[in-house]
Amino acid sequence: MSMNHDPELDDILQDEELVRLAGLLKATRRAEPPLDDAFRSALRRQLMQRAWGMGEVRTPWWQRLAGPPALAWAGAALGILLIGSVVVFTANQGPGTNVLTVTSPMADEHAVQLQQPILVSFNQPMNHAATEAAVQITPATYVTFSWQDSKTLAVHPSGGTLAPNTQYQVTIGPSAKTLSGQPLTRPATITFVTRPAPTPQPSPRPTPTATPASQLTGEHRLAAMPSGAFYAPQWSADSSTVYFVGDNGALESVSAAGGDPKTLVKDGVSYPAITVAGDRLAYVRGGNVEVMTLADGSTTDLATVSQVSALSWAGDQLLWATDSGVFKAAANGPEQLIPVSPGVTVVSMAPDGAHAVFQSGPAFSVVDLVANTSQPLAGASAFLGWSPDGSRLMYATDTGTAVASTQGSSIGTLPAGDASWSSQNVVLIGSDTSVSAIHPDGSGSTLLNTGTYRHPVWAPNGSTFAYVRGGGLWIATSPALAPEISPLDQAASVVTQFMNARLARQQDVATTFLDDNGKQAYSSSGLPLVINGAATFSRDYIVMAELTGQDPATARFVVRLVLSRGPIDVSEYDETLTLVRAQASQPFLIDQASAGPTRLLGRGPEVVSVDVATGSMRIVFDSDLVSNTVADGVILLDKNGKRLGGQSTYANRTVIITGLNLTPGADYKLVVLTTVQDVSGREVSAEYDLEPFGPVAPNLAGPAAPDPGLSAAPTPSPLLGRSPFPGGLPTATPTP
Amino acid sequence: MRDDERDLVERAKRDPRQFGALYDRHFQQIYRFVYSRVREQSAAEDVTSEIFIKALKAMPRYQDTGRPFAAWLYQIAVNAIADRYRTLRPSQSLDDFHDLSVAGPALEDLAAHRDELRRIWTLVDQLPAPQKMALVLKFQEDMKIEDIAVAMGKSAGAVKLLIHRGVSRLREDADALRPVE
Repeated sequence: MSMNHDPELDDILQDEELVRLAGLLKATRRAEPPLDDAFRSALRRQLMQRAWGMGEVRTPWWQRLAGPPALAWAGAALGILLIGSVVVFTANQGPGTNVLTVTSPMADEHAVQLQQPILVSFNQPMNHAATEAAVQITPATYVTFSWQDSKTLAVHPSGGTLAPNTQYQVTIGPSAKTLSGQPLTRPATITFVTRPAPTPQPSPRPTPTATPASQLTGEHRLAAMPSGAFYAPQWSADSSTVYFVGDNGALESVSAAGGDPKTLVKDGVSYPAITVAGDRLAYVRGGNVEVMTLADGSTTDLATVSQVSALSWAGDQLLWATDSGVFKAAANGPEQLIPVSPGVTVVSMAPDGAHAVFQSGPAFSVVDLVANTSQPLAGASAFLGWSPDGSRLMYATDTGTAVASTQGSSIGTLPAGDASWSSQNVVLIGSDTSVSAIHPDGSGSTLLNTGTYRHPVWAPNGSTFAYVRGGGLWIATSPALAPEISPLDQAASVVTQFMNARLARQQDVATTFLDDNGKQAYSSSGLPLVINGAATFSRDYIVMAELTGQDPATARFVVRLVLSRGPIDVSEYDETLTLVRAQASQPFLIDQASAGPTRLLGRGPEVVSVDVATGSMRIVFDSDLVSNTVADGVILLDKNGKRLGGQSTYANRTVIITGLNLTPGADYKLVVLTTVQDVSGREVSAEYDLEPFGPVAPNLAGPAAPDPGLSAAPTPSPLLGRSPFPGGLPTATPTP
Repeated sequence: MRDDERDLVERAKRDPRQFGALYDRHFQQIYRFVYSRVREQSAAEDVTSEIFIKALKAMPRYQDTGRPFAAWLYQIAVNAIADRYRTLRPSQSLDDFHDLSVAGPALEDLAAHRDELRRIWTLVDQLPAPQKMALVLKFQEDMKIEDIAVAMGKSAGAVKLLIHRGVSRLREDADALRPVE
């Protein structure tokens, strides 16, 4: 056996066996213990806070003056006198006034506006110079001060705004003093988190309160509607004709342009349903399911039925439901998909034929017609409709219109009313008093008009809709929701909902935003969907968003997950999500996901957003930087690792690289080196890499994101909710 | 104590806000030591916090005796762990904390010694507390006798005696420890 010789042991262990045992003890190596870096960082921060409280250790003034210990007694006597004076002073001041306290309306807030000063309030008039000198801010930020009154300090970021998506800690150190010279007994720290950069409102973006005039055109009455059972009007595929059930159950058609209705079947028709192609119309009549070919008016009896409760098409497949089961038309006659228990009513089948909504007494549920599994629809009082692809459904609750997945998980809530979901992913909400258009995620709510708009039904073109008013069938044309939500915005909305579900630890809801690949990425062997650990997943924000492909539409997001201990953010990591949708009418789903390394916070400047355009790139930091460390510290590489040209400018926490000519779809790499330094002298703690693509022009829907180019004031893409894009370029370079 | 460390210590004595540099330098070492004793992450975090907070508070009174600053931290750690041990015994196996691969020059015929390696620290764990601590600081933490004396609040001679007695106690189980021939 060989080992390092330790001469210290020579005179302790002379026996050969003892030496051998010592060798064994030395030969074992300790395994690395589990260590939470967040703990290490948090403990350091705790220590530094205590250190602030301790302040600088000074030699007592009487020792400095008098020196010889013999005089200490005199000092002590003076001390007693001083204490007595303070007691008398305190007694005269009344209860509580001697304790200097610090408060802020921003303390512990999580969505602080960016364009405002940090307000710090004291309960006593303060010595301005001493108090200003005691202010310390992380991330490192240039600030100026003003006093609203003798007790209220306003701390202004020199750049005009606070950094977005950033946790600030503003510490007032113990050197802060009142006008009478009383110091803080301990440092006070105000912690808050800023909101995302403002999303520029597309212009115009009508809101219900801002648009009193009607937004509708071509409103007119088409035909009389009978009272009694109501069956939703059916639109032809070209949106030119409406089929409806009129008096005595007559099946009638009427041109959307107007004119007299034409009777196709004279009576007894119920549950009309037209194919997506618009060539055939099925209905129930006289105990039979009939299918009419609209081109020639010929009809075919498909099945004899009783107690029908729903009838619809899933592509070319006709489905109907009775009190005994859900059936489909097959070559040899009706084929039962699933049975239905007594007392249960099938309310509706989804447009893709995969699900149905059942009602049993007051309870509603969504049923998987293949797996025959059921999920309750929480709080449902009525079923309202499906999304065109059948992946989402809407139902009425006490609080409004719930949007849910086919797993029954609630995705969002829209205003109450009769609802119809268009091919353009816009939901009409009609009622006795108004009609509004709104996106399924609740965004873009637009009051179209006031008045009675019951049972609205979108035409396939997504702009015209039929509705019922009084005793008549009416139609009107709605403007497109302005502006159209771009694919990137729609993908951002999915990301937002996905992250919100994870924040709420709703694994089942989060899973609804994943396709099969995405589920694999977040499987037990992959990334955690619900994040557990000593540090709590407390917030997230989008660092970078890009449309990366058009057919199918793909988008890539870099989302930052922030972990906290108590109120303090301690670490973060980025997840890169790739979202895909097959068609514009379908929702984006997360197809790929990967995670970057965990970084400890409070170690140096951090990138909080990156905005990529063809000709430029904008990188926003949370800290004010030493400007001469930027040019060679923030660089862009092509896929071969070659540094790209372009001019780099820095102002107000923002680095802008201009003069680029990025190739759409090409890979690039943004590198932030550890040489980049903030104004407090701390460097980026670890190299930060981001891999953007050359931007793809989003021409699927909505406006293209404008290219910031060389413009001094680019207009960011109208991302929903968590836009990472700041509102404009900085205009001033603060000087320390 | 090295000059650069002495400088850090002096600065931290004058201004506790400079303590961060000492923390950065010694955290890993102290945490590993604490974890090896308490063998539970949250307990190790609690004890490590206690050690550094005590050290920060006591910093103005720290006297440079020429020994490494770490020896003083170990002294606080030994006491904090002793306090902890009064109410808590580590329950996890020592195997989790001693990698059976070798440190430094390779043990020849490692396989033959693996069983000994596994068991020897189990036997150390059963020694009286002062002997155990002396062996841990000497063989696991690789400290000098003088520094162990600081950490344990004993004389160098007493530490040597503890080490001798501890290893001798291990020899009593020598037969059981010997590799199977």
